[in-house]
Amino acid sequence: MKKIGLFYSFRSNKTAKVAEKIVKEFNDGDVEIIDIEITTEDIFISFDNYILGVPTWFDGELPNYWDEFLPTIEELDLTDKIIAIYGLGDQKGYPENFGDAIGIMASLLEKRGATVVGFTSIKGYKFENSQAVRGDQFCGLVLDQENQGRLTNQRVTEWVTEIKGYFR
Amino acid sequence: MVIPKKHSIKTTDKKILEKWYHLLKLGRTIDDKAPNYLKQAIGWSYHAPYAGHDGIQLAIGQVFDKKHDHLFPYYRDMLTNLSAGLTAEELILNGISKADDVASGGRHMSNHFGKPEFNIHNVSSATGNHTLHAAGVARAIKYYRAKGVAISSQGESSVSEGYVYEAINGASREKLPVIFVIQDNGYGISVPKKDQTANRKVANNFKGFKNLRIIHCNGKDVFESMNAMLEAKRHVLENGEPVIVQANCVRMHSHSNSDRHELYRNESELGYVSEYDPLNKFRRMLIRYKRLTAEELDVIDDKVKGVVKRAHKKAISAADPDPKSITNFVFAEEHTPKVFIDGLHDHKGEKFKLVEALNKTLKEEFRDNPDTFIWGQDMANKDKGGIFNVSKGMQQEFGEERVFNAPIAEDYILGTANGMSRYDDKIRIVVEGAEFADYFWPAMEQYVDTSHDFWRSNGKFSPNITIRLASGGYIGGGMYHSQNIEGALTALPGVRIVYPSYADDAAGLLRTSMRSKGLTLFLEPKALYNAPVAATSIPDDFEVPFGKARIRKSGNDLTILTYGNTTHMCVDVALKLEEEASVSIEVIDLRSLIPLDRGTILKSVKKTGKVLIVHEDNVFSGFGAELSATIMEDGFEYLDGPVRRLGAPFTPIGFNRILEKATLPNTDKIYEEVKKLIAY
Repeated sequence: MKKIGLFYSFRSNKTAKVAEKIVKEFNDGDVEIIDIEITTEDIFISFDNYILGVPTWFDGELPNYWDEFLPTIEELDLTDKIIAIYGLGDQKGYPENFGDAIGIMASLLEKRGATVVGFTSIKGYKFENSQAVRGDQFCGLVLDQENQGRLTNQRVTEWVTEIKGYFR
Repeated sequence: MVIPKKHSIKTTDKKILEKWYHLLKLGRTIDDKAPNYLKQAIGWSYHAPYAGHDGIQLAIGQVFDKKHDHLFPYYRDMLTNLSAGLTAEELILNGISKADDVASGGRHMSNHFGKPEFNIHNVSSATGNHTLHAAGVARAIKYYRAKGVAISSQGESSVSEGYVYEAINGASREKLPVIFVIQDNGYGISVPKKDQTANRKVANNFKGFKNLRIIHCNGKDVFESMNAMLEAKRHVLENGEPVIVQANCVRMHSHSNSDRHELYRNESELGYVSEYDPLNKFRRMLIRYKRLTAEELDVIDDKVKGVVKRAHKKAISAADPDPKSITNFVFAEEHTPKVFIDGLHDHKGEKFKLVEALNKTLKEEFRDNPDTFIWGQDMANKDKGGIFNVSKGMQQEFGEERVFNAPIAEDYILGTANGMSRYDDKIRIVVEGAEFADYFWPAMEQYVDTSHDFWRSNGKFSPNITIRLASGGYIGGGMYHSQNIEGALTALPGVRIVYPSYADDAAGLLRTSMRSKGLTLFLEPKALYNAPVAATSIPDDFEVPFGKARIRKSGNDLTILTYGNTTHMCVDVALKLEEEASVSIEVIDLRSLIPLDRGTILKSVKKTGKVLIVHEDNVFSGFGAELSATIMEDGFEYLDGPVRRLGAPFTPIGFNRILEKATLPNTDKIYEEVKKLIAY
């Protein structure tokens, strides 16, 4: 398996902690962590396998660090790139926009030719609306540390097991 | 619908990016500096920082075209104003309330920016009520087939106000060219938006409205905000229908300098709202995408420092407002009759009922002035013209664009009149403020706002409006159909209030109102609309000046001051007592309550020495209290007895005729009071 680029903000708190858990689920050397806040187009495009940490901010927005990198992504050819996305959300506080950022990011990546993997069931969550929903699945792993923190470890483990199968 | 990406960090011209960065940096520098003026006791005691709204405010100002558009910014819109054309000096002059403040000359609260010369309107502190004005001016833009839009801006919490619903409903119904911008920072002072409405995105409350497009954008992002506002304007201009733009922002600081947000926001929240500082984000992107270097940006930063320094120096040494000027611009210029100087005539001819006089005068003025409009509830539908037929036949003659029904929304009726009159000083608007005067209360916030618009704008904007209201009792209408409201309304400066009793005065005062600038409240005694006693002949082009009472019967022993329905009763009593007891009573029909004809009143008091005041409204705090106090202050030495008042007791009015009769004055009650006072 080629190396996986795990992109997230090193200044984040919960998203960074989940990144650490994810790394532990892989063998040493399988994953390279990269700070999205200072990364470049060259670094980003150099991978074939990706995990992106994309939490939802405010009422369904991308965090500023991802927003600022979008103009780069929007012009990339991501054909043959395998990308899995995870992100934090709050289903109680923001039920109308739960995990929206994952959906926004997934749609953008797919437009650029990427294959988004690691869909998860919406069962076990209670929310009103989410741009991350595709049928009865989220197009990534949505974690709710505010309301379901005790489920996070198990969800991460199961998800990583699944996405390992997609990476080449 | 997709928002075209006309602007992006990679494609927008460098010169434009430089200009935007300059505006963003300049605005933020003043925003950050504003609290220092208060700390130094110089002024700016109200400052609502805009930091966190940078993207959308820059975009509103950039999209605004001062030649064709009308902008209604709210109190947090400092950058909007700067981006729309105000200078740094003008912002500071407003902040520290100097005489040269272009918005109001220091009369209105700080941080309420505006510049009427640029069609940037100075708005009320009653947040969001300018949505009605935006709808009104948009009605004018549409009527005159002009190319432009009205842009109204407000916070998300003020959307809870009922008048915002009225404005958006009206704009949707009338298909008016308005962009309603909602700047959502999540709080109304300390109140989180979950306490305002169920939808977190309040714009979605309006999803069911027809003829209305809703656009959401990231108000913290310059490019997304620009693209959203450009698309909104394109949509309005091409489709002739309103758009709501909801811009998600963050409030990086407290609501204002009297608020402490650390009392209700935790450190984590304060951290992440600061994290998304839109100005820092824009700067990072300019450097990241190699559009401007850090050095180039530093040069702009230095320039900004210089601009602010110079603006501060000029503003701080500018003149303060003159305390002697406080009574300037309370009332806009009134029309002065040239022929009927005192509003009197000896014309003999066909008699007209009061309702006919009003109808005839309205039609004559509409024929004479093409920039006249009238609307209200139940105003025009085929052969029906108003609940009392005052506007009968007008829509047929002048068309649906000048004479039309309004929704049952009194605040919208008056608020859009205020807004429409902002379009051009030549416009004259008549509204039936409500079907009955006592239904007018929902419009009170617009009434108050409109009453002080001329003063607040330092004489730059006069709402040229006549509010007609069918007033008073004697029809068995009870509450909401028979009450008088003038006692409460005369307490507000800035409105002329007239209350005719006869057809000729009704015609003359209405004509004068419609030819004047400013706001006139025209109260019509509905019980007299068709009463033969109020019918008179009316000379052509008859005008009655404001502030001229009319002596309906002269006398020497006692003065009765009255107006409206009770004038006729007082004249009857005077004639009866003259015949019965040779008592000579002078009946003065005030006609105008504001301005008041103090000269005629005091002259009569000097002659008779005794005064009875008669009106329908409550005695307690009724207008008679002001009349009595005026006489006590300026005519005390002429008095031979107490100034007495006769009116309604301090109670609402009952529907049953027995109750109504017990409440309102009548000839018997007046007769008894006069006799008592004569005998004193």
